[in-house]
Amino acid sequence: MEFEESWSQRIMRIDPSDYHYMKVCLEFEEHGIGLNAAQFKQLLVSALQELFGEVGAALPFDVLTYEEKTLKAILRVCNSGFVKLWSSLTMLGSYKGNKCAFRVIQVSPFLLALSGNSRELVLD
Amino acid sequence: MATLRRLRETPQHFLSCVMSSFHDPRPRHRHFVETHYYNYKVSFLIPECALLPKELKSLVTELGPYYLVKNLPLHEFITPEFINTFVKKGKLILSLDKDTYEETGLEGHPSKYSGRKSMRFIVSVDLMELSFNLNSKKYKRTSWSFKEKKPLKFNFLFAWHNTGAAESSLMSYFSNYHIQEHQPRVSGSSLGELPCPVLQSDYIAGLPGVLCGAPELFEWLGAVCSNVDQNNEPHNFISTYCCPQPNTALAKAYLCSITGFLLPEKICLLLERLRHYFDEPKLAPWLTLSVHSFADSPVAWREKEHGFHKGGEHIYNFVIFNNQDYWLQLAVGANDDCFL
Repeated sequence: MEFEESWSQRIMRIDPSDYHYMKVCLEFEEHGIGLNAAQFKQLLVSALQELFGEVGAALPFDVLTYEEKTLKAILRVCNSGFVKLWSSLTMLGSYKGNKCAFRVIQVSPFLLALSGNSRELVLD
Repeated sequence: MATLRRLRETPQHFLSCVMSSFHDPRPRHRHFVETHYYNYKVSFLIPECALLPKELKSLVTELGPYYLVKNLPLHEFITPEFINTFVKKGKLILSLDKDTYEETGLEGHPSKYSGRKSMRFIVSVDLMELSFNLNSKKYKRTSWSFKEKKPLKFNFLFAWHNTGAAESSLMSYFSNYHIQEHQPRVSGSSLGELPCPVLQSDYIAGLPGVLCGAPELFEWLGAVCSNVDQNNEPHNFISTYCCPQPNTALAKAYLCSITGFLLPEKICLLLERLRHYFDEPKLAPWLTLSVHSFADSPVAWREKEHGFHKGGEHIYNFVIFNNQDYWLQLAVGANDDCFL
């Protein structure tokens, strides 16, 4: 790291965020399947339980935003549970007998980063 | 076990926050903005404001255009005509994987983020130096590499700070290629009542129980821009997120976002206009201006290499107070220099 000349005040934090944020999208093989926010969260809890058992299912995380129409959500999870949550999303294959998959669109330790993703820029 | 532990770790990230004033005789804020070249999104938030102020309306719609050129060969960038018309001074910086680097036959250096076994290399071509001597070995080798040895073609985004030449030069210069003009996308929204952290410019780190600091403000801003509900109870099943404490209630706020390929000169202009928003008394105690870089650009600031681990984030944010003090925050992910 290098620093510019002195400012009036400076604070520098390494790993300042206790959380990681994930923008995800749930896709079903068949159309027309809907979930409300509570059902969506329960689906994630059961995904954690399936892979990591009861201890995994107790991992605290938040569904900060959820769009019922597009099945897109922003999740917040503590850093120590980030890999567990992401791997649970990866391994989830079905909901009530319907085949589905999670797409992880973006991850960041900064929530502000999730509001601007240049990889989503489409110009055609 | 060590491998497992490493796999469970989250990549390192940095947040640097500094404080200064627009009355400082050294305009460091301008230099900072002008040396961030690849800007994808700019957004500003004005508390206690319902509509886009008229002094900003014209500027917000004039931040473009930018251009997309498809399948453009790299050798077009080293022609004297291109350099003399558009570049004046500058460098062509390539971030290449190992195989492509070896195939080009050009001189470069390993990426500083590639670890013990270098899998990524950086090639930097000084365009001014090349254009001064077209008979030099360097020019001939670069030209041979781009035209014959490894003719690389990419889709490019162009944005050009025109200091006087004909307006449609980029369109006419690349008329032999597929070139499209684009305008930045502007979106604005009036936000209703929302909680916001209590800030004071002198206390960038906050004051426990009295004031929030810059890191809390940064996270709150992310929540506002992503439209996160901030009125949750601790026992709520779906989300427990709430506004940092201590907080106050805003009656309204205006959030405007512009996305595209945005020039640092235009962002500087926007910063100056936002700073002068407080020339007349306003209810808002402060406002913010955030800028997101492109996640995959080879450089983020000056010529500093921009690596990315997962996110590629490189964001800076100004908090402009009504007394002309400002906070400047820089947030970067792993494999980036944090230099404030």
